[in-house]
Amino acid sequence: MKSMILSLIGALALIATGCATPETVQRRSSLMDYLYPKAKAAPTPNPAGARLKLPLRLGVAFVPGGSQSWRIQNLMAPGQEKQLLEVVKQSFKDKPWITEIKLIPSAYLRAGGGFENMDQVAGMYGVDVMALASVDQVQNTDPRWYSFTYLSIVGAYVLPGDANDTNTLIDAAVYDVASHTFLLRAPGQSRIKGSSTWAYRERQLREHSSLGLQAAMTDLAKNLDAEVAAFKAEIASGDRKDVDVVDRQGVSLRQSGGRNFGGGFGWIEAMAAALILGAALRMRRA
Amino acid sequence: MDPLALSALALQEPWRLWTGHLAHFGWDHALANAVALAVPFLLACPPDRPRLILVLVLGAPLLSLLLLPGLGADQYRGASGLACALWALVGLRQAGRRDSASIGLMMLGGLALKLGAETVFGSSLLLHPEGWRTLPTAHHWGALLGLAFALPPWPRPRAA
Repeated sequence: MKSMILSLIGALALIATGCATPETVQRRSSLMDYLYPKAKAAPTPNPAGARLKLPLRLGVAFVPGGSQSWRIQNLMAPGQEKQLLEVVKQSFKDKPWITEIKLIPSAYLRAGGGFENMDQVAGMYGVDVMALASVDQVQNTDPRWYSFTYLSIVGAYVLPGDANDTNTLIDAAVYDVASHTFLLRAPGQSRIKGSSTWAYRERQLREHSSLGLQAAMTDLAKNLDAEVAAFKAEIASGDRKDVDVVDRQGVSLRQSGGRNFGGGFGWIEAMAAALILGAALRMRRA
Repeated sequence: MDPLALSALALQEPWRLWTGHLAHFGWDHALANAVALAVPFLLACPPDRPRLILVLVLGAPLLSLLLLPGLGADQYRGASGLACALWALVGLRQAGRRDSASIGLMMLGGLALKLGAETVFGSSLLLHPEGWRTLPTAHHWGALLGLAFALPPWPRPRAA
């Protein structure tokens, strides 16, 4: 009898400490760990620069995190990786400067594989540029004041005493495969809040993890579109000296003024138009 | 990409067929085009004014559709194609009237001079320091559209 009471007290104490303590879970994969696993100093830029020929063939992949591929780390459910990459593919499928988008499974990327691994995968899929996505997801669980009701066991199944926050950041960096030149980056982020009972907590965190990735990927696709437009403008204005883009006709984006076409009357022409107006009005009066 | 500029996306976002002519690369670009648009409006005879509106409403998407195949992955902004259409329209209509033939010829001559200069001097005139390039095709198609809109004998002259 005495041992039964002791074990019950022990179980309650375990639940109480387990429930009333804030918890943080972080899952992340790092682009730097993947591309520069042994480098201690900042990477030196390629002096030759990149020359991209439109339309481009783009490869998209999640970089591996830690010592294993990203998917294996239990962050994504089977099939979710493809679903997430599909978001980027859908948002770029109608862009005339992209001819093909290949979704590359993270299983093909080695942890710490560096540019050597990127080249292998890009060669295998026949892509000119690679968009490498890295993920940083933090999930916090904070007990609410009434979480002490978990001690009643019933409360742990009925009262939502856990406040769950899921913050996700997906960063996509785009590299030219031939020259290993960094072209541009774009972030995507999301924040999902929720409440759960103690018993339902893990399930909700898993659901929010998945939803957070989906929302961050949608945000990333939107930002990537804007970053590409800014990237083109930078090249056209000559701000990016290490990159040039050549269109289908072989005309450099720098020489063509960014291929931003405008219908324009110059100021001299506008003044001439005003002079014609003045002369015409005078002729009418006469 | 600018949500209003004319680009290949216009096939999915049809408003770009109109808004491409409203979007500009800056205030100075917009102001010069506004002056060019205002002149034919001020010089047009009252019976011709509905045609001018027709060009703005129907001519704008037509001009956009004519420009799209040549744009490829690029974008177009500016009202000067439409301005050329109005200059051609009003010029031809005025040239057909006895009392305003000289005004019409002056407008057509000015337009021809602009198109000729762009064709002859090419890139030195067309590249702007702000990072965009004038598209002479827009002016050529605009002038042709304007002439086409000027031709139908409407409104029909009433019998005396």
